[in-house]
Amino acid sequence: MIKIISLTTLSLFILRNAYAAEAGMPQLDPTYWASQVFWLTLIFSAIYFLIAKIFVPKIKGNIDARESQIRKDINEANSLKEEADKKLKEYNKIIDEAKLEAKKLISEGRKKINEDIQLKKEQIEKDIQKETLSATKEIEKFKINSLKKINIISEEIVSDIIKDIFKEDLNKSSIKATVSEVMKERRN
Amino acid sequence: MATNPMHQFNVYKIGPEIKINGIDLSFTNASLFMLISGIFISLFLLLGTKDRKIVPGKFQLISEMLYNFISKMISDTAGKKAKPYFSFIFSLFIFVLFCNMVGMLPYSFTVTSHIIVTLAFAMFIFIGVTILGFVIHGFKYLKIFVPSGVPMVLLPIIMIIEIISYLSRPVSLSVRLFANMMAGHTMLKVFGGFVISLGLVAGWLPLTFSVALTGLEILVAFLQAYVFAILTCIYLNDALNLHH
Repeated sequence: MIKIISLTTLSLFILRNAYAAEAGMPQLDPTYWASQVFWLTLIFSAIYFLIAKIFVPKIKGNIDARESQIRKDINEANSLKEEADKKLKEYNKIIDEAKLEAKKLISEGRKKINEDIQLKKEQIEKDIQKETLSATKEIEKFKINSLKKINIISEEIVSDIIKDIFKEDLNKSSIKATVSEVMKERRN
Repeated sequence: MATNPMHQFNVYKIGPEIKINGIDLSFTNASLFMLISGIFISLFLLLGTKDRKIVPGKFQLISEMLYNFISKMISDTAGKKAKPYFSFIFSLFIFVLFCNMVGMLPYSFTVTSHIIVTLAFAMFIFIGVTILGFVIHGFKYLKIFVPSGVPMVLLPIIMIIEIISYLSRPVSLSVRLFANMMAGHTMLKVFGGFVISLGLVAGWLPLTFSVALTGLEILVAFLQAYVFAILTCIYLNDALNLHH
């Protein structure tokens, strides 16, 4: 608002003082117009040439350099990422293969060990059977032998006892028969 | 009031009188402040382009932002064909901006508050754009005065209006910048005078106003430089891409 009012008053000012420049506005005094235009042309063209020939190419070059650098960096990062992905895939493949092989090796080993165990077990069982067989045979033999020995000892003891009590020898065959009868009874 | 608020716009010569063919081309305070603005621009751009880092420093960042800002402005308003004129628009914007900003310093002189300076720019742009239009499109460039889709009855009136509006371009372009700068600086001076004349009792009010006005003037300084540059782009666009 203030701006508008001041602008209108100033434009009135310009109109009123257009013919009396010296009194009002120094801008309308033509004494130094030529000088101002001359120096403006000189200085502005100097600035223009400085900017056009030196500064703008420099700034533009710098911005372009930054952009190309960023683009290059992004490309490099992308290619590195791709390579890393490839390497990761390779790594995973190798790991998978190694796992498979390890599994195969483990199952093979297990099979072999199981077979071995089975074989050994059978062998041992056979051995044990053989041993038990021979042991039972021997036990059987011992049993028979011991029985015989017991019979003999019992007969001797009986004959000795009879001898001590009755002071006479009894018929050996009758003693034998009696002992074996008793033994049979006991066993049953 | 202590001094005339228009006193700040006085032009006086510094150093010896230079006269060529009877025309006075002496070095004046206006020329001095043009030179100062030019030196500031060169210094600023020199600092901005000194070390060309991938991650920019302060000055480099500002100069690159300025570059991108103007580049976007040109491509938005005038399209790709305006690329060869980038340096001119850039120089124009930065020169007007720095002249306006240097003018904001106390005791300095505002180059752009003189109608002859802005008129010189505006006439140069106007004549340059017109020549460019005729060089690119030949006599077809006159089509700019004949908008498409206008009834035949209205055409003569529209053409007259278009011609007047085309011819008034340099006037509006130059007066806009000049009047804005002069009005702002005059107001600053007037309120500054009020501070002195009202003294300690009531002088605070114009002082606050003056401070606020200074902020506004800095905005106007930027805005007017932008408007000047963007209008140049629009005129350039008319010459490069014939729309009508």
